[in-house]
Amino acid sequence: MTHRMKAAPRGSLRWLLPAVPLAFLALVLVAPVARLLAEGLGATADAGNALSWWSLWQDEYLRWRLFWSFAQAAITCVLALLLGLPLAWVLARLEFAGRATVLRLLMLPFVVPTLVAAMGVLALWGPRGWLGEPLANAGFDLEDSPFLLLYGNLFFNLCLVVRAGVDALEQVSATRVAAARSLGATPWRAFWRVEWPAMAPWLASALCLVFLYCFSGFGLALMLGGQRYATVEVEIYTLVAHELELGQAGVLAVWMLLLTGAVALAYAWMEKRLAAPGRSTPVVRQRPHGLGQWAAVAGALAVLGLVCAAPLLAIVGQAARALLWGQGGAVLLEPETAQALWNTLRFSAMALALATVLGLCHALAVRTLDLAGAAHGAHSARGLLALAWRAAAFLPFVVSPVTVGFGLLLLYPQWTASLGLLVSAYALLAYPFVAKSLSTALDNLPASYAQAAATLGASHMRVFWRVTLPLVSGALRRGMAFAAATALGEFAVSLFLSRPEWTTLTTLIYQRLGRPGAGNLDAALVLACLLMALALLAFAGIEGKKDKPPHA
Amino acid sequence: MLELRDIAKQWDHRPLLDGVNLTVHSGETVALLGASGSGKSTLLKIVAGLDAPERGSVWFEGQDITHQPPEQRRFALMFQDFALFPHLNVQDNVAFGLREQGLAKAAAREQARDMLARFGLANHATARVWTLSGGEQQRVALARALITRPRVLLLDEPFSALDASLREQLRAEFRDRIQAAGMSAILVTHDEQEARAMAQHAWGVRGGRLVALW
Repeated sequence: MTHRMKAAPRGSLRWLLPAVPLAFLALVLVAPVARLLAEGLGATADAGNALSWWSLWQDEYLRWRLFWSFAQAAITCVLALLLGLPLAWVLARLEFAGRATVLRLLMLPFVVPTLVAAMGVLALWGPRGWLGEPLANAGFDLEDSPFLLLYGNLFFNLCLVVRAGVDALEQVSATRVAAARSLGATPWRAFWRVEWPAMAPWLASALCLVFLYCFSGFGLALMLGGQRYATVEVEIYTLVAHELELGQAGVLAVWMLLLTGAVALAYAWMEKRLAAPGRSTPVVRQRPHGLGQWAAVAGALAVLGLVCAAPLLAIVGQAARALLWGQGGAVLLEPETAQALWNTLRFSAMALALATVLGLCHALAVRTLDLAGAAHGAHSARGLLALAWRAAAFLPFVVSPVTVGFGLLLLYPQWTASLGLLVSAYALLAYPFVAKSLSTALDNLPASYAQAAATLGASHMRVFWRVTLPLVSGALRRGMAFAAATALGEFAVSLFLSRPEWTTLTTLIYQRLGRPGAGNLDAALVLACLLMALALLAFAGIEGKKDKPPHA
Repeated sequence: MLELRDIAKQWDHRPLLDGVNLTVHSGETVALLGASGSGKSTLLKIVAGLDAPERGSVWFEGQDITHQPPEQRRFALMFQDFALFPHLNVQDNVAFGLREQGLAKAAAREQARDMLARFGLANHATARVWTLSGGEQQRVALARALITRPRVLLLDEPFSALDASLREQLRAEFRDRIQAAGMSAILVTHDEQEARAMAQHAWGVRGGRLVALW
């Protein structure tokens, strides 16, 4: 009775599909995290170390770090919701020139590497930034405030909430809204009583993801948090890389894991509830009428411009200045840059290939287990196993890159500078994008396509090659595009596991920023622009043309 | 001759089909009538090999085919939503089964175009399937099913997505084409009028069992 696509392979392949990502997750994620846990436990058991699980909460400095990590993520969620909800409504309900382009550009911040985004924020609001400098001259020093970090968080996450809001509003049935209006509800009441309840689960799901990204974020907090507003992830990195306090870092990492794990479980549960939404007739968009609606459109575009586009424009402008009038041009001709570019490209290509195989296996295994679960009921052991395996794709989101890097460093000290481990760590962070994109596409494919192909004589492999794969190829490309952008901009893991001759563009930018002088800052700006262009090119090249019209 | 012997199937720990027996003779069309959730579509999927019974067996021409995979049965199934492949054009949809039988692409396309001409769809051969009307899509689905010369044709609520006038028109057309092809067919429907128009015999699916209607 399932209405989803039947893509369940038979025989040994049925077990091979989950076995590949399962073994990978066990070796590259679970085992390192377990090792980290042991490090934390070992540290607390060591009486001389005077560490305990609860001592963190008694230490004012660490308590502040944990509190602030939580608070900045929560504040970002609230701000993203307050700004994102009206923006989503404008984009979903009003038809105006350029609307489709704005929707497409909403993905842009997500593709920009963290380090580049942080530099964009500084190029705009930093002490020498376009807006930051005049503000500093007027006596408003943003550097010692949480503003930069919160703004950076919003840059990345506002688009996520807006996108989720637009998707949710497009799922709202026009007939239900019409029914509410005919029963006497004003547009405002119809929104709160019909549209808002339908949107809420989508927004809650997006906000869980925003919270996870901000809470376990590293790059932005390192660059924009400063001494006072850095997060626990930065503290863990400092303890490991600079103070060699592995025990304390282990205890902190375990606490982070517990807190992010709880949020991630909520997210996985909500995602499952949102899977395979029913098709409904969407509310027809209308051209804005009246001053109020035109003001809403102008306001929405202004907010998007200020939060999402301005940092990118600022970094491009600053890089152009550095290239034309500053000392930034020379860096493009340096052998160090060519080497970093080559390393970035080859590590990312290898990671993308591995992430694609893992994502494909994971998503197909989700489908296989889902079908088995559906045949035995959602609450059967197989049904629960299917849900658990679906949630396993989120594990790499739960564990921060810093925790992954630290855990791998502890578990495989002999391989810390090996190419295999570095590429595996990149792939670990990238493959959930492929798995998630494919799983959603498979969830939404009608079962009848594969069944029709089978009754027309196609074997299971032929059904996969001739029907399933072509129909999900758009989703596969989209997942790969996000995976490629993630790998190209990877920063935290590179800091832990790289060797000096494996410098990537991100680590080279970080090194340049750490060196004194205007020349190094100019070089970093030009390199950041180069990295951003590379990420955008990879994303556009892999994602390719837009999807075909909806299924017949 | 197609035979179902003592077929049983559970859904969510409750019996959906409980000892179903049915015989369909060569060239005969049989209708299965029942409410939503009565198990009639599940029974059709068991016949097609897309679902496995928990008890009982499926026989065709004296052979037990219960465990034969669907691609080896040569039973074409037509779906309620037509299930036309959106990534293929009309002629490639129709040629799909011929390609699976090992025919070269050019030959398969030629046969598909012949078939489409017989269905009055020659001008739509290279069109994308979503550009066709509901009736045209339904004809493409039947052409795709018939071109492989299936041993049994299985129809799962084939007209439910169409409007009333088109439904009546296609009903007659489908009955004639199926009879002309001389194959056995099982029609699943909840519309008694439709069953009377197309089938020689009908069974009601009630409480997991078949009840003879006519």
